Amino acid sequence: MPQDVATLAVLPRGGVLALFVFGGVFLSLDYITSILGPMLEGAQMTVLLFLIAIITAIPLGFLLTLAVKSSFKPLSFLAQGYIYVMRGTPLLLQLLFICFGLPMLPVVGEYLVLDRFVAACLGFVLNYAAYFAEIFRGGLLAIDKGQYEASQVLGLNKWQTTTRIILPQMFRVALPAVANESVTLVKDTALLYAVAVPELLHYAQTAVNRDFTIVPFFVAGLIYLIMTLVLTVVFKVIERRFKFE
Amino acid sequence: MAIIEVSNLKKSFGDLEVLKKITFNVDKNDVVAVIGPSGSGKSTMLRSLVHLEEINGGSIKVAGDQLVKDGVYSKPQEVKRITSKMGMVFQHFNLFPHLTVKENLELPPKLVKNEPTSVIHQRSTELLKKIGLTDRANAYPANLSGGQKQRVAIARALMMNPEILLFDEPTSALDPELTGEVLKVMKDLAEEQMTMIVVTHEMGFAKEVANRVIFMDNGEIIESGHPSELFDNPRNERTKAFLNRV
Ligand SMILES: Nc1ncnc2c1ncn2[C@@H]1O[C@H](COP(=O)(O)OP(=O)(O)O)[C@@H](O)[C@H]1O
Ligand SMILES: [Mg+2]
Repeated sequence: MPQDVATLAVLPRGGVLALFVFGGVFLSLDYITSILGPMLEGAQMTVLLFLIAIITAIPLGFLLTLAVKSSFKPLSFLAQGYIYVMRGTPLLLQLLFICFGLPMLPVVGEYLVLDRFVAACLGFVLNYAAYFAEIFRGGLLAIDKGQYEASQVLGLNKWQTTTRIILPQMFRVALPAVANESVTLVKDTALLYAVAVPELLHYAQTAVNRDFTIVPFFVAGLIYLIMTLVLTVVFKVIERRFKFE
Repeated sequence: MAIIEVSNLKKSFGDLEVLKKITFNVDKNDVVAVIGPSGSGKSTMLRSLVHLEEINGGSIKVAGDQLVKDGVYSKPQEVKRITSKMGMVFQHFNLFPHLTVKENLELPPKLVKNEPTSVIHQRSTELLKKIGLTDRANAYPANLSGGQKQRVAIARALMMNPEILLFDEPTSALDPELTGEVLKVMKDLAEEQMTMIVVTHEMGFAKEVANRVIFMDNGEIIESGHPSELFDNPRNERTKAFLNRV
């Protein structure tokens, strides 16, 4: 026994922790199987929110970019103001506002009682569209003005220049930032917890409280890691496909 | 016969007068070299011809059609039709990086010209052969050398069948050992009687290939003439000073 303690003492602290974690995880495989069912169910909610948010927020963000770029000044200002507000306030605040704030508005409030999950989706889409809009705007800025000039001299009209020359390059430039933002989105889905939509983290927390063990947290962490890993790989494949080399 | 007629062309950027009433003609089949110190307005002059810059006064006539008359432009459609007679090759190539060499050549005529795909394809095949890059047809610009990129840019301009080709310092961005391959393509074009205006620092090319040289300084055409006159017997002091420096 003293020998064991000595061995432990020379291990770095992280090593000790890992030892306990792995030991704990290994010893309670049955336990893990028992909590995995509900947690994966929660993960489905996470994935669903992620898919809805990303599929809607990217096109919406792109439209916002066009609005910002618009020569119709009121539209441009409106879009810029929208982006400023959405990026300048916490997503959590926006979610709470949509879920609990809207119904409290006078007169219209009673019509704005949304299903929690729907409300959360709305919040995520509205918020992430602003971030994607900024990413796409950055992508546009990165395009050399020589691309527009060459297009013009070759006789392409504005529409052709935009759709065939500029946008493909913009998306290519924006891809790494979009990938990054998507990984953040996966992790942000945990905010559903705050508006009491049962998702992955919710089930983990429930199990922790009920069973007095931190194992569910590690399982949840692992599931998040797997999701972000899959996402990262998918984006790497897309990036390679659009490398233009 | 003049194919380009420019008279009293004025262009300012804000308070800066960049072109001060420039007048010159270019005849069909001419190869005109435009030389002069940096900042003298050479690029602006070239860009005005293809309407990349809006001029503030004067007239431009291309192949008999009035692009601008006394500072007033023709209708947008007309402007487009008239400028389409000219192709332009830029210092920094401006190839489309997301398209292969072949796509760079074929996309613009596909979008703009009313031609069967087979005709466009045939022309791109011929032009790739002409610039010696048949084997690079499916490469992306990122994988080409500077000299190869500029040759592709020339071919891309030629795909539109222009009557006049404008070059803005086509070799200035290239490593010295790569300028030769580009100048060779330009020389071939000159031998095929292509009308060209070439802004260049390559005095050798100007002497050998051009049949007229225009010297610009400070927004004005100071002197123009056959290369043998202008290089060997410059009349103006500013021309002399410039030629002594390069
Ligand atoms: N878009 C622009 N805005 C303001 N000034 C410009 C612009 N383009 C060129 N200039 C100015 O006009 C002058 C002539 O430029 P340019 O035609 O590029 O000369 P060159 O090609 O002979 O070097 C320079 O002083 C340059 O700084
Ligand atoms: Mg220049």
